[in-house]
Amino acid sequence: MLQNGNEGMSTIPGFSQIQFEGFCRFINQGLTEEFHKFQKIEDRDQEIEFQLFVETYQLVEPLITERDAVYESLTYSSELYVPAVLIWKTGRNMQEQTVFIGNIPIMNSFGTSIVNGIYRIVINQIVQSPGIYYRSELEHNGVSVYTSTIISDWGGRSELEIDRKARIWARVSRKQKISILVLSSAMGSNIREILDNVCYPEIFLSFPNDKEKKKIGSKENAILEFYQQFACVGGDPVFSESLCKELQKKFFQQRCELGKIGRQNLNRRLNLDIPQNNTFLLPRDLLAAVDHLIGMKLGMGTLDDMSHLKNKRIRSVADLLQDQFGLALVRLENTVRGTICGAIRHKLIPTPQNLVTSTSLTTTYESFFGLHPLSQVLDRTNPLTQIVHGRKWSYLGPGGLTGRTASFRIRDIHPSHYGRICPIDTSEGINVGLMGSLAIHVKVGYWGSIESPFYGLSERSKEAQMVYLSPNRDEYYMVAAGNSLALNRDIQEQQVVPARYRQEFLTIAWEEIHLRSIFPFQYFSIGASLIPFIEHNDANRALMSSNMQRQAVPLSRSEKCIVGTGLEGQTALDSGVSVIAECKGKIIYTDTQKIFLSSNGDTLSIPLVMYQRSNKNTCMNQKTQVQRGKYIKKGQILAGGAATAGGELALGKNVLVAYMPWEGYNFEDAVLISERLVYKDIYTSFHIRKYEIQTHVTSQGPERITKEIPHLEARLLRNLDRNGIVMLGSWIETGDILVGKLTPQTASESSYAPEDRLLRAILGIQVSTSKETSLRLPIGGRGRVIDVRWIHRRGVSNSNPERIRVYISQKREIKVGDKVAGRHGNKGIISKILSRQDMPYLQDGTPVDMVFNPLGVPSRMNVGQIFECSLGLAGDLLKKHYRIGPFDERYEQEASRKLVFSELYEASKKTKNPWVFEPEYPGKSRIFDGRTGDLFEQPVLIGKSYILKLIHQVDDKIHGRSSGHYALVTQQPLRGRAKQGGQRVGEMEVWALEGFGVAHILQEMLTYKSDHIRARQEVLGAMIIGATVPNPESAPESFRLLVRELRSLSLELNHFLVSEKNFQMDRKEA
Amino acid sequence: MVREDVVGSTRTLQWKCVESRVDSKRLYYGRFVLSPLMKGQADTIGIAIRRALLGEIEGTCITRATSENVLHEYSTIAGIEESVHEILLNLKDIVLRSNLYGVRNASICVRGPKYITAQDIISPPSVEIVDTTQHIANLTEPINLCIELQIKRDRGYRMKSTNDSHDGSYPIDIVSMPVRNANHSIHSYGNGNEKQEILFIEIWTNGSLTPKEALYEASRNLIDLLIPFLHAEEEDMNFKENENRWNLPPFSFQDKFTNFKKNKKGIPLTCIFIDQSELSSRTYNCLKRSNIHTLLDLLSHSQEDLMKMEYFRTEDVKQILSTVQKHFAINLLNKKL
Repeated sequence: MLQNGNEGMSTIPGFSQIQFEGFCRFINQGLTEEFHKFQKIEDRDQEIEFQLFVETYQLVEPLITERDAVYESLTYSSELYVPAVLIWKTGRNMQEQTVFIGNIPIMNSFGTSIVNGIYRIVINQIVQSPGIYYRSELEHNGVSVYTSTIISDWGGRSELEIDRKARIWARVSRKQKISILVLSSAMGSNIREILDNVCYPEIFLSFPNDKEKKKIGSKENAILEFYQQFACVGGDPVFSESLCKELQKKFFQQRCELGKIGRQNLNRRLNLDIPQNNTFLLPRDLLAAVDHLIGMKLGMGTLDDMSHLKNKRIRSVADLLQDQFGLALVRLENTVRGTICGAIRHKLIPTPQNLVTSTSLTTTYESFFGLHPLSQVLDRTNPLTQIVHGRKWSYLGPGGLTGRTASFRIRDIHPSHYGRICPIDTSEGINVGLMGSLAIHVKVGYWGSIESPFYGLSERSKEAQMVYLSPNRDEYYMVAAGNSLALNRDIQEQQVVPARYRQEFLTIAWEEIHLRSIFPFQYFSIGASLIPFIEHNDANRALMSSNMQRQAVPLSRSEKCIVGTGLEGQTALDSGVSVIAECKGKIIYTDTQKIFLSSNGDTLSIPLVMYQRSNKNTCMNQKTQVQRGKYIKKGQILAGGAATAGGELALGKNVLVAYMPWEGYNFEDAVLISERLVYKDIYTSFHIRKYEIQTHVTSQGPERITKEIPHLEARLLRNLDRNGIVMLGSWIETGDILVGKLTPQTASESSYAPEDRLLRAILGIQVSTSKETSLRLPIGGRGRVIDVRWIHRRGVSNSNPERIRVYISQKREIKVGDKVAGRHGNKGIISKILSRQDMPYLQDGTPVDMVFNPLGVPSRMNVGQIFECSLGLAGDLLKKHYRIGPFDERYEQEASRKLVFSELYEASKKTKNPWVFEPEYPGKSRIFDGRTGDLFEQPVLIGKSYILKLIHQVDDKIHGRSSGHYALVTQQPLRGRAKQGGQRVGEMEVWALEGFGVAHILQEMLTYKSDHIRARQEVLGAMIIGATVPNPESAPESFRLLVRELRSLSLELNHFLVSEKNFQMDRKEA
Repeated sequence: MVREDVVGSTRTLQWKCVESRVDSKRLYYGRFVLSPLMKGQADTIGIAIRRALLGEIEGTCITRATSENVLHEYSTIAGIEESVHEILLNLKDIVLRSNLYGVRNASICVRGPKYITAQDIISPPSVEIVDTTQHIANLTEPINLCIELQIKRDRGYRMKSTNDSHDGSYPIDIVSMPVRNANHSIHSYGNGNEKQEILFIEIWTNGSLTPKEALYEASRNLIDLLIPFLHAEEEDMNFKENENRWNLPPFSFQDKFTNFKKNKKGIPLTCIFIDQSELSSRTYNCLKRSNIHTLLDLLSHSQEDLMKMEYFRTEDVKQILSTVQKHFAINLLNKKL
């Protein structure tokens, strides 16, 4: 899988390959590199020496299978063994043993790791390459200030700047800057050396005054001065070893460790030849950097573009895992050292395995996968989501940027992104431009550079050869954006192509081209390259589309798209949801659960996934595609997974759509659908939810799981078996009990609410010694119990909680309120389901399936949907499927339109349906109103579009609250659906109510729905005894606020009591 | 007057099946022509027939399947290639033909290995399986599979109701829509002002009934819907009125009500809301509170009833009477109040 077997052919690299390569690099190189940093450990008296033979480490095949790991919530990891030796120097004897160091989570074939039963993926981080960068900034008075930024391997930055008076400063913290002379003296060079090594000594000499001269006189003084400035301490610190150490730790290690890449970059930028293994910043570097800075000031040299990709590198899984491994080894070293000392003190004779604990490595990795921001739970909504997740990059995370502070420039698209980072696919919202997807052909180079392939064109060899170029190299070539097919062959003068050269777009003769791009989709990510006619869409809508395709729910019966881009096949294949034959053979037996394959004499059993839950509650299911007795080839698809059809990605359905207004039911992007989509199960999906409960041990005793729950209706308990757990296969409705649980409780009368006590007294209920804490099905959940798992935690049985998980499957037809979307960013909510005779119908009587708003097209500029729609109709009639690459316009003017019209014309001719293509309004057709049979006023665009049902469904969102809990502090209703929360009525909503004078609602809102706590509690009492709700006596604070607001408008709101007898007014404060 | 014209100018209406085709066992096509029609009539009939064909025709389908030793819909049975859910989906698609009322039982009882098709359904004599080759399941092992089915004739579609089933029976979505598609087109001919039209009706059915039968069925259902109009309107109203009389014994305004009804023919009293009668807001609120929304509601209450209402005073009754008289020309004052 990792090697591309046929070298000559350029195939799209496997979509998960970036992850695999990263992990392989970690296993093959990263482990060894970190092991070599592990030094031998000696105790204080140097009697015992501990050493690892790092060359012969072993990783053992995992003991459990992936499936078991998921099922039992374990980590899919392999054990790492290293031979270790313990040498007694005094006794001159040694003990050798292979020790178990710990578990390393292993990557599976999806490019993910399974940690505690959860699929996790480590996404690639893009960080600024360590090195030095020059830039100039305009100060407010119009003078440009030159600064150079040195970025360390850890992301720490220190800046050198030259000011107007030509003084050179090093900025050590946000506020403090110190003279460059102080810094270089503190780093160990004296004034003589400095002056010898710089090109402009006069500048160095000019600025220090006498006081400073004294400071740089000796290293100690310089360090003292540096420390004073850096730590911002006043007074007179005394030079000491600890002070030196602190500075070393806080400044030099964080800001000056360059790493190998940093050293390389620095050497290149400053023309130095410092050896590679010198990974720290040297005084020589500093002086060279200052020289360059002065050169900049004098107008020599070029500035750097920080956002150029050549100045960035990818920290992939390999680097992140390697860092963690290093960390774990340091921890291990410390524990080993501690244990040796302990052993010696207690006069014990340790063995190597006794010294080494596996916990440090195991816990380091568990906490890394669990807590690190770049390790994310694999999103498994559909196959596309899975595969795209592994190809994500992010600027965020440790050593990177944060969403709130990142500038606009860094989020923007850069010319160097061509073919490396998708210009379209990025998240919306606060992280826009900070997270995105890699382009499909990208390879990650050894130094973390993002490499893109090109065809090299040369006169000599006719054969174009493929080269991977890193971003710092392809700038110097002329790169044709298309290929020679796009040339107009007839006319000699027009043998020119658009090309890129040094971040510019030029039109260059074909002969002068050095490189050409290899594939039209080279510039895009997977998500974007699944959009047909993407070149006709606005980038914003394409972005939404590539994000929304990832939210598509797998449907119960999937269907290939009629109009696609040709990448569907590989996406489905690489996502790993389908079962692929690993070798050729004969199918012996098929079943819903497994396939038996006979190959070379032995029988392979291939298990299939049956109705499994993904972490987005969608249903994953594999379905056999081969018949028994058939012979199959290697690589053939044995079973298709969810949202695949015939080996291709199939996220939605081809439905007949019309773009027309219909009674206002498609106002603001709402969508009208036909009941056919409901009863034909076209947009029916399955959702499997997991409900979990744990049993704890309380101070009163352990919690019990039982069927015997007092004071509960038998109806609620009808589904429980005799253990108190819901029976498999039972139908569950909201409020039913899934697991009956009782928590022991001390029976104290006072712990009940007064009305509760009253009720108990009236109804004669005994005070029970336990409280009912059963697992109930929350609102919105209903369905069939398909699995119940009782997970016993291993280890000490009492202290660890037991868990019971209930899986409930739910069938969801499409309904009003669900979100649907096309592949062009055209999204909408279902507003109404019409019967099929009411829908508009075509001239052959076919009712339309969906009605979209035509106004959704012009302002959004996603014309691709129109092309897709018309071509889909042609394809449907001709029984053809189209796979269309992007940018076909370069071959011909209006190529897309010509294709669509010619296909429509052909379909019209072949099926003898003249309405399919009418020259007066091509693509449109006159259609009828289903209710009246009248012709609609204007011809309407109709066609077949590929429409997806998205995961945002009403069932998960709809929510109402009549009564419920209140937040403790604010005494406001809680927030959110999960907590039975209320809907916030904000200021403006209240104004609306006030404006319309809805007296009863306002009265409610201002009294017992508001901050009148006593009134609110009285309502509860009134509800229990069934009395009328009492009117509160006093006004609540919110009403008083309203009165005061009115007062500030010079309006007095008050009420008076007028006496009947003497008309005396009795004024009362409201 | 118009009728005589029609009779005089045209021959009697005739229909004919001009094309009939059986594409497969589950796809029938038929094209019918109705002529001659006066201008505009074709449209009237065409749209009505199309809507009746699509919405009014009954079909038979399997509504429930019961099988022992099946855990749940999403489980599998060893030895069967399909999961239970897929079998249910296959059963949903099976096309049946019957004219039964009520629920009938059918069953499948086979022993594997066998490829189960609709042929294997043992159905009651009144139910006929249209396409016997429809696939249900594939048994690969020698096991017994017994499924009890319920068959029902219904109209439209009904998605699975969420009833409990402890007995291992699973409801199947009811989709009884035998007409797949229908279309009508109008061809007009003739000269000048004497234009005549021909109506073409195209019908695609799923095989459980032929297009001709579908057309017959649709016409009959359509006629059934129109039958009430054939009876005199008067009787109809009286019928409703009688109903009211039985429900609400003390009718104080009843006589006047009948008078009034005769005065204002055609406007049912239920269509006049008390909002229209310009009552004072106080009276209006009182009436609204006691669920009196229309004039009919008002008239069906006796004065005593009104007086029993909260905050209702004699002045209000007077006001009501005067307004009603003013606006609706009902003289109620001579009535003893």
